[in-house]
Amino acid sequence: MTDAAGPAAGTAPHRPIRDLLTGSVASIALALIIVVGIGLLWVGPRFLSFSNISIMGSFLVVPLIVGAFAGFALLAGVVDLSIGSMVGFSSALFALLLTLGWDPWSAGAVTLAACLGFGAINAIAIVGFGADPIAATLGMLTALRGMAWVLVGAQGSLFAFHPGLFAAANQMVFGLPLLFLIAIGLTLVAALIVSKTRIGRHVQAVGGDSKAAARAGISVVRVRTAALLLSALGAGIGGIIFVGQLGSAARATGFGLEFQVYAALMIGGYSILRGGVGNPLGGALGLMAVAGISNMLSLGAISPYYVNIIVGLLLLAAVLLDRLRGGDSYE
Amino acid sequence: MSLDPAMAGTAASPPRLSLHGWGTPITLLAAWLLLIAATGIYRPDFLSHQTLLAITFTMAIVGVMAIGQALVAISGGFLDLSQPSALILSSLVAVRLAEAGLPLPLIVVAAVLTGMAWGCCNAAIIVFGKLNPVIVTLATNFIGLAALFLVFQLAQAPLGSGLHGLGRTAHLGLPAIWWPMVILILLVGFMLPRTRYGRRAIAVGGNKFAAKARGISLRATRFAAFTAAGGFVGFAAVLFAASSGPFNPASGNNLQLNVIAAVILAGISLAGGRGSLWMLLLSVGFLSTIPTALVFFGLSSDMQSIFQGFILLVAVAIDGYRARRNTP
Amino acid sequence: MMRKTLRAAAMTAVAIPAIVMAAGAANAQDDTFKVGMAVGGNPCCDWMKAQGDVARALAEQRGWEYLELSNNNDPAVAVQNAQIFAQEGVDVVIQFNGQPSSNPAVAQILGAANIPAITYDIAQEGMYFVGIDNLAAGIAGGEALGQIVKERWNCEPDLVISAEGAVAGIVNEWRTGGMRTGLKNVCPDIPEEKWVSFESQGDAAVGLPAARDLLASHPDAEKMAVVGLNDGGVLAAIQAAEQLGRAEEMIGWGQDGAFITGDNVNPHLVGSVFYFLEGYAVYAFRDIIDPIAAGNPPPVKWEAGDPASRVEPCPVTAEQAAEVPDMDERVEQLLAAPEGTTAFELFCPTA
Repeated sequence: MTDAAGPAAGTAPHRPIRDLLTGSVASIALALIIVVGIGLLWVGPRFLSFSNISIMGSFLVVPLIVGAFAGFALLAGVVDLSIGSMVGFSSALFALLLTLGWDPWSAGAVTLAACLGFGAINAIAIVGFGADPIAATLGMLTALRGMAWVLVGAQGSLFAFHPGLFAAANQMVFGLPLLFLIAIGLTLVAALIVSKTRIGRHVQAVGGDSKAAARAGISVVRVRTAALLLSALGAGIGGIIFVGQLGSAARATGFGLEFQVYAALMIGGYSILRGGVGNPLGGALGLMAVAGISNMLSLGAISPYYVNIIVGLLLLAAVLLDRLRGGDSYE
Repeated sequence: MSLDPAMAGTAASPPRLSLHGWGTPITLLAAWLLLIAATGIYRPDFLSHQTLLAITFTMAIVGVMAIGQALVAISGGFLDLSQPSALILSSLVAVRLAEAGLPLPLIVVAAVLTGMAWGCCNAAIIVFGKLNPVIVTLATNFIGLAALFLVFQLAQAPLGSGLHGLGRTAHLGLPAIWWPMVILILLVGFMLPRTRYGRRAIAVGGNKFAAKARGISLRATRFAAFTAAGGFVGFAAVLFAASSGPFNPASGNNLQLNVIAAVILAGISLAGGRGSLWMLLLSVGFLSTIPTALVFFGLSSDMQSIFQGFILLVAVAIDGYRARRNTP
Repeated sequence: MMRKTLRAAAMTAVAIPAIVMAAGAANAQDDTFKVGMAVGGNPCCDWMKAQGDVARALAEQRGWEYLELSNNNDPAVAVQNAQIFAQEGVDVVIQFNGQPSSNPAVAQILGAANIPAITYDIAQEGMYFVGIDNLAAGIAGGEALGQIVKERWNCEPDLVISAEGAVAGIVNEWRTGGMRTGLKNVCPDIPEEKWVSFESQGDAAVGLPAARDLLASHPDAEKMAVVGLNDGGVLAAIQAAEQLGRAEEMIGWGQDGAFITGDNVNPHLVGSVFYFLEGYAVYAFRDIIDPIAAGNPPPVKWEAGDPASRVEPCPVTAEQAAEVPDMDERVEQLLAAPEGTTAFELFCPTA
């Protein structure tokens, strides 16, 4: 396994020009710039107007936050496929509590606690019993989807329009949505943690080679448990924000979000099958590139189904590029 | 569980019969019988021919798709996430040919070939790009479904055609679409550990470096596994088009989870190299009985996901625990 | 690694504001009237795409601009689309939102931008309601089915099956529940335990296993009447009965008329209620958009019971439906008809 992009990269000799042209974050940054360029040529200058960036930004809030947290699980080598259903479950529970007259703070606290509880079940199965992460979290995905649907009830949706929450979710600062800026800030913090702190190095080490990490005295159990709990927490927060933004929870909330987010994260340099690679910054840029393409097709009045064709092709290109750069090759 | 009887043949020794390694089938069978008994006690009319028909109809499509998924997993390809696209594409081909008045056998051949072509495309990207199958098939499923939406909105097997009739007839009291599923699982499950190609696939899935050292071509094995898996999805598509009535490009999506759950529950390791296809009969049967039993208990169909999800979670946890104990 | 990422981020961070500055000059607003349409985007239904095609054709006939987005059957996308319409400066929005849970947010955004909005079939305060009274359509279908149940079985069916579709939310309650009400209007004495439901998801293929399970749990029922959210859901129950060998005495009456035209009509689907969903734009243009374009916006009537423009339900038996052309043909004829002619007037055999 050639692991050049793994934890060792932090100590590799510093070659700025080469890194700039070949690093995984650099290539997704370049891809994003190309997307922006095409957008400007095709849609016109309004592609980058504050209003258009705000539209993309408020749509990106939940994927960015969910992706930033779930990225830790990917980095630790334990992919969590249950995030989409977790978002759905969280929004359903939060909306239900609001309709029962709870105040948003205690409803939010209970919702997050419940999400952490299911994250803990994931951790017990995967870390405690050694279950395969894909299979185990697929089970959790199914179970949580069922629970969300039961909570939402026969009407198929729960209306919990809360004027205060709606205002907070749509608060603008400097012409951009406040939540979008917070999500970006969160991404930067996550990026700092991953590349600058001991915790980050431990997570990468566990994901890159868990046996070597254990020999080096890192607690694999603790790192992976924490990563899975973080992933559940991020999805929980995402679900609550959805209720604020949409004023409701529905059966469709969060449905299929896991693959949308992971496709974008992989375009941004993460891998769902191999820990130790990827960076929150790259993941966020990947999400932005996909959102940009989708927005461009909307403004150009092109069928939205082309978005998924482009996402699929980009995903293939991204993993191919990663492989050519010395990433994992599959035989 | 790593040593179930059908797999013993892979170790080049004759199949040994011992209680060791029967954990998965016994657990599965016990769970299944318990479910049937509990529902039967609560509602004696559960034990009827109607129930049998309902369950066996549900089993047929999932079972055939699970053969494809199992072949991919056993040969070390982890998962084929593009099965929904392949299923709908092949079903569309089957319906269009039925509309053109072609006889059923030709339709079957065409649908299987369509599925094989799809699998072959997957294999080509995987082998020549040296890319991981899970990511490749995730991408091809994105592309495939989106492209299908651009091509058609609704399709159905014409009333009175042979294809339409196939989905509504019974042989020996069981659905006509159920028998091919059982025969295929028994046949492929028998041949896999006993033929040269099958043993190669298992060897590659178990340890590709050792397999390569023995002179087995990884590329050829990958191509064979994914193409064959696609062929089974193509065949499942005939059963789907025959029995489902009008379908749209998204109609196959919710089969995906059931199929993967059936493969995992059957003890077929996603890491490759171990598992018996025969076990699919038990896992598919068990999983298909759950929703029917829930209806008899008067529970909503949403509860079905909760049960299936936690059963899957517990099963993989037990599997992981056993594997960990066996390999210190 | 951090340096590398920082540099990359800096590249993006410098590039984007630079271009934003360049973009400062917003595109000049032109005076052409512009219609925005958000189609439902649910894979279930081919009429969702047709709704967009008809609206586009009507806008083009008038020489207007037209922007079509898809709600992708996703509540978050519907909200994003509302924001895009506001940004693109459309003069009026039409939407079908199959995920009405986000309708309050959509109404809020379009209202803040002072864009009049028309919503099809699912009422939302603040938006012009154009569409069917779903409850009335449900009741009409239920009463028509009730007449057959009365004639054939003297109002004594073994089972009345509801093909629910919880995803459609309140529309499901109106249509499926309305059909039950209509049936009860004709046959008031069907006992409680004869009424059963399954979740069809409004899709014949997806709802099939659940329908088989339900039938298996009532093994003795022979005379079965089926009501439901749409033709697809009802068809799921009929096909399940065919597979279990019990379709002989099953009769289903659908809603929306999706599977009651053409060569492939299931003989057990004895009737349905046409809404001619593809042609709703004719009502929206005639009664709301044309007046707005002329500078006389009508009052915002948003309740389904007192709509801005009412679409009449057209209950038909399978024999009557045989003379109705299929959807593609209907779209063609509708667009060729004199301005303002509705599909109901053109095609409803019972009108």
